[in-house]
Amino acid sequence: MNDLMYSPDTIAAQATPSGRGGVGIIRISGVKAKEIALALIQKDTEFKPRFAHFHQFLDVNNDIVDEGLVLFFPGPNSFTGEDVIELQGHGGPVVMTSLLNRVLNLGTRMANPGEFSERAFLNDKLDLAQAEAIADLIDSASEQAARCAIRSLNGAFSDHIHVLVEQVINLRLYVEAAIDFPEEEIDFLADGKVGRDLASIIEQLDVVLKEANRGVLLKEGMKVVLAGRPNAGKSSLLNALAGRDTAIVTDIAGTTRDLLREHIHIDGMPLHIIDTAGLRDSPDAIEQEGIRRAWSEIKEADRVLLLTDASETKNVDIESMWPEFFEQLPDLDKVVVVRNKIDKTEEVQGICEKGLPTVRLSAKHGQGIDDLREYLKNAMGYQSAMEGGFTARQRHLEALKSARNYLSIGQSQLIDNGAGELLAEDLRMAQNHLNEITGEFTPDDLLGRIFSSFCIGK
Amino acid sequence: MDYPKRYGVIVIGGGHAGCEAALASARMGVETLLLTHNIETLGQMSCNPAIGGIGKSHLVKEIDALGGAMALATDHAGIQFRVLNSRKGPAVRATRAQADRILYKAYIRHTLENQQHLDIFQQSADDLVMEGDKARGVITNMGVRFHSDTVVLTAGTFLGGKIHIGLESHSGGRAGDPPSIALAERLREMPFRVDRLKTGTPPRIDARSVNFSQMEAQPGDDVTPVMSFWGSADMHPEQISCYITHTNEKTHDIIRAGLDRSPMYTGVIEGIGPRYCPSIEDKIHRFADKSSHQIFIEPEGLTTHELYPNGISTSLPFDVQLDLVHSMKGLENAHITRPGYAIEYDFFDPRDLRYSLETKFVDGLFFAGQINGTTGYEEAGAQGLLAGLNAALRSQEKEAWTPRRDEAYLGVLVDDLISMGTREPYRMFTSRAEYRLILREDNADIRLTEKGRELGLVNDDLWEKFCVKKEAIIQESQRMKNTWVQPGSPIAEKLTAYINRPLSREYSLMELMRRPELDFNKIAEVTGDLLVTDAVAEQVEIAAKYEGYISRQLDDINKLKRNEDTKFPLDLDFDNVKGLSNEVKQKLKESRPETLGQASRIPGITPAAVSLLLVSLKKHRATKSMNVDIK
Repeated sequence: MNDLMYSPDTIAAQATPSGRGGVGIIRISGVKAKEIALALIQKDTEFKPRFAHFHQFLDVNNDIVDEGLVLFFPGPNSFTGEDVIELQGHGGPVVMTSLLNRVLNLGTRMANPGEFSERAFLNDKLDLAQAEAIADLIDSASEQAARCAIRSLNGAFSDHIHVLVEQVINLRLYVEAAIDFPEEEIDFLADGKVGRDLASIIEQLDVVLKEANRGVLLKEGMKVVLAGRPNAGKSSLLNALAGRDTAIVTDIAGTTRDLLREHIHIDGMPLHIIDTAGLRDSPDAIEQEGIRRAWSEIKEADRVLLLTDASETKNVDIESMWPEFFEQLPDLDKVVVVRNKIDKTEEVQGICEKGLPTVRLSAKHGQGIDDLREYLKNAMGYQSAMEGGFTARQRHLEALKSARNYLSIGQSQLIDNGAGELLAEDLRMAQNHLNEITGEFTPDDLLGRIFSSFCIGK
Repeated sequence: MDYPKRYGVIVIGGGHAGCEAALASARMGVETLLLTHNIETLGQMSCNPAIGGIGKSHLVKEIDALGGAMALATDHAGIQFRVLNSRKGPAVRATRAQADRILYKAYIRHTLENQQHLDIFQQSADDLVMEGDKARGVITNMGVRFHSDTVVLTAGTFLGGKIHIGLESHSGGRAGDPPSIALAERLREMPFRVDRLKTGTPPRIDARSVNFSQMEAQPGDDVTPVMSFWGSADMHPEQISCYITHTNEKTHDIIRAGLDRSPMYTGVIEGIGPRYCPSIEDKIHRFADKSSHQIFIEPEGLTTHELYPNGISTSLPFDVQLDLVHSMKGLENAHITRPGYAIEYDFFDPRDLRYSLETKFVDGLFFAGQINGTTGYEEAGAQGLLAGLNAALRSQEKEAWTPRRDEAYLGVLVDDLISMGTREPYRMFTSRAEYRLILREDNADIRLTEKGRELGLVNDDLWEKFCVKKEAIIQESQRMKNTWVQPGSPIAEKLTAYINRPLSREYSLMELMRRPELDFNKIAEVTGDLLVTDAVAEQVEIAAKYEGYISRQLDDINKLKRNEDTKFPLDLDFDNVKGLSNEVKQKLKESRPETLGQASRIPGITPAAVSLLLVSLKKHRATKSMNVDIK
């Protein structure tokens, strides 16, 4: 059974939900855990097992990233059964990101979804009866991660990435064809094309990375879309949740024509609220476009708050109330029915979880808003415990940085040494990292591309 | 009748797979029978008269490192040797030789006939001797029953072979040879997944009718390369040139006009052909904008006038073949000695094989070569060697051995085949190997010969040579690491001829060799110490130049080792693995991987699926050991 235990990598991840919590924890597990903690604090010291040690966490230039506690749990008496270090720092996305980045740069790998639990199980730290639960966790966590990963990159960003990956594949096509088919009349390594293309890819990747680091193109947090008929009070609810007047609220149906986005925190957890145009058949071209956008947001949402005007209908069953909407809904699990304007009816505020969850509130007067907040927090807490958009984004940035690194090593191999076979190896590594974002690309896929692009073979 | 002598291993088929299989098993001291329908065609090169090339020479040198015959046969038969990619770095360099068919065959037959523990018998094999679901011998065409522990089947294209020329077709295993229908039918009754593949050959041409002055000559390399680690240029026969001509618009018009009588384009041929070795009609059709294709005119031998025009493999009708040949420069008056043809044949889905190349359904039955969906002498020979040695190990009741992907191209070949199967004839390319920088043709002996010796494949003479070389490499590396050059010393002064700036500190010779401007020979020239052979110098230099890359690859190998070493129990039901998607389950059931590493390489198997398999395995084992405790 020992062969299952052997895990050569040291892994790291943020163990606390992302957001503005007071304390954030980075967990490191594996043989190099202690060594990495020592490198992080730049001190020659001993960590007493299971005791808290106060230290400053330093970056590569010895500047302070954060200060906090280091806890050392030597294996096998740790959560995973391996040496585990916990770094407790100040919560908050910026500090946690820098700290995790530093730990990754010191030689850890970002943990896969559910990997800490997986290691704990493989190292006999969890009961055999928990095997099913671990399988569930890995399954749902990786599915969740995949979903978050896709979403954490919005349109423009993911378009960039796909174009870049395609260019890397294309470059490999030329390099590998030149290597595997030297007798054909194709030698791209010699004619300068490869060098030029490589330089251009690196340049574009730098732009993408820079923008990603500024956070311009990335989103974070659970995405909640407010949807419903015109004048159901969606914008009022946005203002109530945001605690300020973001949206213009009037009695005129169709006031909101484009999307309004608001980034709020509930107890430190990040949340994107998107107010959409009321869904109705409208002759107005601008409003139609607004409605099209509303639908596209609804399809990507984690939660759809479907607002109805409680003073207009007693019906809580959307299928009968609004069949054409119901048909287009991607996933019923995501829908919460919100009966707004209960100040005008006799209804009692609060949540009913029978069938589709239904929240009764008044956006204008504030009844039931806290119930909705509580509901959203719980919904989000479940997700953050596994893997949120934050981690997904981090994972993508790591992949991009690694790819960038290999591309420039490859470039110098080509320029300084004319070593096409080493460039090929670096390109392969770069693509392996990019595959984490875009999915598998096998050697056979590559050969297939070569054969369909060049006339090869005697 | 029952043949009185019982064998450890019976090999059916005397092609490249069969010969290496029989030789390997016999070298290991196991009594072996090679059963062929025709002794005259042992070691026959049925397709192009060349051995090696990119990816392929790597396999040839691995066969060589394990004591096999192919590389030495090439050195005795090669009439033009070249190193491909010579300017692209050692990892992707590949030796290629034109071989004289007659000399090649003669060398192989000589080797077979002089191999101890090996008998040869000429009869076609019609059936297997079965004991339950175990293969325990072979029944020949005239009813002789040979009994054995294991059977290695290397039937090439002979199973259900069908030859096409134009819209005419007939049964055949190779032009002029009958197919093996009885055996094919017997095997089709077994639960193996069978499919059809296609391959083709060009028409052959009489050199006396060719005007070589119209073509470009392509001689071998000036310093003649050698294929075998144990070979030398002294073994080579006379060296001659190949020639290059081209197709042109007229050729392409002729081909287009004949497509309505092409078995490929009229749907007569169902088998899938190789993407990388398309017929000339395929090239014209798929790359319509290309106005010309290179055609290599390769001599078939020193004592024959036949030429092999490499690049015009075709199954067009003979009149079209004649016209298209005549349309090319230098071939205006060419006489065709044998028409080109396409052949369709059965192959068995290699996902029904284990790493040892033993079939999953029939105990003691091993498959090697084209029957597994590969193409090429080298791919066949490598599998033959592996199947032969594993059949011998089985007969000796020892555990099977197969190199891992990081140890040999042979490992890549087998792992690819049994994990992913193949839809076209599988050919080796260096881009299939993720550890390409480690799996070089120059170090195949360093990678494999020790293992070969341990298995009994490498004789005393070769072993001695190997040990001398290895020791020299260690000594020389040590010397270069321990020899220091001081700034300002006479040697440092001489080095400035090659490097721009003077040395800033003390450097060892090994460190200096890593610089792009320097190599082993330049350093030897400066220091005046040339103490070793070229082969040894090459190893020391490559180790220095690739150092960073090699250590990174070794790291990767180490990380994946857990997966490679984790075997699935035979009774593991993939349907019961919690959390796997149906698609993943389906893929796992199709390939039935033996190890977690193999599973991880099946396309579509995600890292999460690998984790789920690990968790399930752990549970499976724990449950089993509990059951044992209870008993």
